[in-house]
Amino acid sequence: MVYSSLLFIYGFLPVSLLLYYITPKKLREMALLFLSGAFCCLISLYFFIFVVAFAAVNYIFMHLISLSRRNEKVAAVPLAAGIIIDLIAVFAFRTEYFTWLHRMIRAPGSFYPVGISFFALGAIGTLIDVYKGRIKADRNMVRFALYIMFFPRLIMGPLLRYRVFTNILNNRRETLSGMGVGMTVFVKGLAKKVIAADNLYMLYTAAFSTSVKEISALTAWLGAAAYILCLYFVLSGFADMGTGIAYLYGLKFPQSFNYPLLSIRLRYFAARWQSQVTQWLRRYITKPIYSVCRKRWMREAVFVLGWGLFGFWYTVDLNGIIWGVIIGTAVIIESRFLRKKIMNPTGIIYTFLTVIIAGVFLSSDSAGYSVSYLFAMVGGNGAIADTQGFYLFKSYIVLLLVTMYASTDLFRNLMTRSERNRVRTAIMAVSPVLILAVLIVCTALMSYSGSSDMLLMKL
Amino acid sequence: MNRIISKITALLTIVFIAIFSVCTFFGKKKDYSVDENRPLAAAPTIKAGEFYDGRTAEKLDRCMTDHFAGRSSWLVGSTLIQKELSESIVNGVYVSEERLINAEQSSDAEPVASADIFENFAENYDGMVYFAAIPTSAGVYGDVLPSHITGPSESQQISELYEALDGDIRKIDAYNILKMLKDNYIYYRSDTKWTSYGAYCVYKTVIQKLGIIPTAYDKFSIEHVTDNFRGDLYNRTMSKAPRADIMDVFEYREGAEVTSCIVVRRDGINAEGKIFDKSRLETGDMYSMYLGEPVPVMRITTSANTDKKLLVIKDSFADCFVPFLLQHYSEITVLDPSVMSGGMSAYVDPNEYEQTLFLFGIDSLGDRKMLSKIIE
Repeated sequence: MVYSSLLFIYGFLPVSLLLYYITPKKLREMALLFLSGAFCCLISLYFFIFVVAFAAVNYIFMHLISLSRRNEKVAAVPLAAGIIIDLIAVFAFRTEYFTWLHRMIRAPGSFYPVGISFFALGAIGTLIDVYKGRIKADRNMVRFALYIMFFPRLIMGPLLRYRVFTNILNNRRETLSGMGVGMTVFVKGLAKKVIAADNLYMLYTAAFSTSVKEISALTAWLGAAAYILCLYFVLSGFADMGTGIAYLYGLKFPQSFNYPLLSIRLRYFAARWQSQVTQWLRRYITKPIYSVCRKRWMREAVFVLGWGLFGFWYTVDLNGIIWGVIIGTAVIIESRFLRKKIMNPTGIIYTFLTVIIAGVFLSSDSAGYSVSYLFAMVGGNGAIADTQGFYLFKSYIVLLLVTMYASTDLFRNLMTRSERNRVRTAIMAVSPVLILAVLIVCTALMSYSGSSDMLLMKL
Repeated sequence: MNRIISKITALLTIVFIAIFSVCTFFGKKKDYSVDENRPLAAAPTIKAGEFYDGRTAEKLDRCMTDHFAGRSSWLVGSTLIQKELSESIVNGVYVSEERLINAEQSSDAEPVASADIFENFAENYDGMVYFAAIPTSAGVYGDVLPSHITGPSESQQISELYEALDGDIRKIDAYNILKMLKDNYIYYRSDTKWTSYGAYCVYKTVIQKLGIIPTAYDKFSIEHVTDNFRGDLYNRTMSKAPRADIMDVFEYREGAEVTSCIVVRRDGINAEGKIFDKSRLETGDMYSMYLGEPVPVMRITTSANTDKKLLVIKDSFADCFVPFLLQHYSEITVLDPSVMSGGMSAYVDPNEYEQTLFLFGIDSLGDRKMLSKIIE
């Protein structure tokens, strides 16, 4: 079950809200855990067992680290063991080298623990924080289990540190207006997934299904732009849906994406794109290394390495690393060589171009294919545009332009700058109806297959 | 101000969700959807094994989707919105005012891979084998779509299959006949299959190959039994963009009459069949007006003044084709492997017939599992 399905929105969500709000306030954390368990069971019982086991193992290792913390060297043993187990859990399902392990743990044939890349990062971060003494090992099992399996963040929802998560739990406040904000964010995320991403995905598959030796430059560009926009809308859509659902239960999750795609500088893109994961990488990997590096170029190399790892986290292969290295290097080049003052449109254009070009590597499995694709993008196949290109252009240009606008912060800025403006008041006044209308449109679009579960990449 | 707006939003959306979820859970459940012409999923019973590996969850999802309150209206809305958002492709169907065209590539193997099944049949058979692979409407009208959608063209698939078939099998080039007549009403606008007129045009060639003179067009009296037919492509899109289709019944009044028509139903019980079952026009599956509900075997005897017997092995494309053959044979047995429970040998012995006609839509010729029943 994904958030963007009829079963979730019209089945699980209303029932769980009802159960949650009839539970006495003191027991509501328990209720959330129970609901999260039910959510896992609605994926499969095996998934539920897997997640519970994962949480239990991490809970035990967290306390082992905490108990042996007086002696740093001794504590390093459970830390390393815990991290290795978590990493194996990730690699076992994201690569093909662990089929023996699948047999050993008797995983059903098509089993994939969706969201494992997210909750494993969370678990590893918590182990390191306990080891470093930044947080105390929490005795509260309910909270720790909730941290791993809380359903609004289970499927690619926002990645949070344990302390941030517990702070949010402490500040839980269920109000009707909070639920309104939640529904707004949820419907926004749903629209990103169902309206934007699913249609961009059609354009992406149309372009990428053409042989790379024959594809025209126009089609190639359309496909590459569609891919990166689609990726953005899938990832941020799921993050928004998760955040919105959490709000419905009175939990104020932070946002994950801050309109990165059409930034005016590449480094703003780098800072805004899935910021919770990049922050995780900085906190636990690159920052400790920075402190050792004295020279500027060494730090820059570490920065690039961090982005390489980020790309690897996306795809678990060489192409992802290439993507990360390209983005990282481009940011370095920008900060070293670019003049401080350039025109904003110039900045937007080169940022977007770099992101599209790098995205070609993220979109395929082999570097060779990506290079041929880039070659086609500069007209290497001898065709600038063909009938297929024109057809796709004609069919999708409106969608592309609208989604590009939606991926910028222009609308939000319009709303914040024009305070006490009539336009703003008018938009605010109709927004409840607008949100309901978008929910209806999304429901209609999901009605045929019942869900929109295309994930673009398995994270 | 903001607070109030948020509260209104919360109430509005949550009440909306609650209404639809209550209607879905407690509303009247149907077993069968007339608009989509298919049975709807039943509520899953929980079995330990299925619950364990997630199949129960999938079934529950399917059930919720099928019984979602106002599903048909949602689908109509979905098509209208989807058409505006991107290409005019909805659930794999190209939607235009002119007609609906299937744009989804089948996951089956290429038809040429099934050639050995027919070869095998022909080797163990004493009579003559005739073979007609019929293009779907996408094959005849698909050229309005860009190439990345249509994939390998149906004409290519048919000629590959024909090349792979042995010389002993007589092949009928239905594709070029139909392609030439594409400005006529030979395919339904909302279905993948051909109209009775399309079938008649191919019948003229087929029957000549079988060694018989065809009945002239003006000998038939044509009855428009309905002008409100919506076919399988409509069932997938709920799009009423093209006009509704007309279904015709061609009857040759002076010709031979059907003396008996016995069918073996899916459950193995014999029953009386009908060549034109007009009661089916009241159901969601109007196309089954031709030959009635799909059955594994249909034995038709006629008063035709001949002792020729014909075996027809077919899919739904032949339903409106078989009536044309009745004039020329005293006995015709029609076999539909797609609804057979076991192999074909359990139903008939092909060697009792001196001629066998295979008539399939090209879209089902990749279905090896179904076709292999012919030689079992």
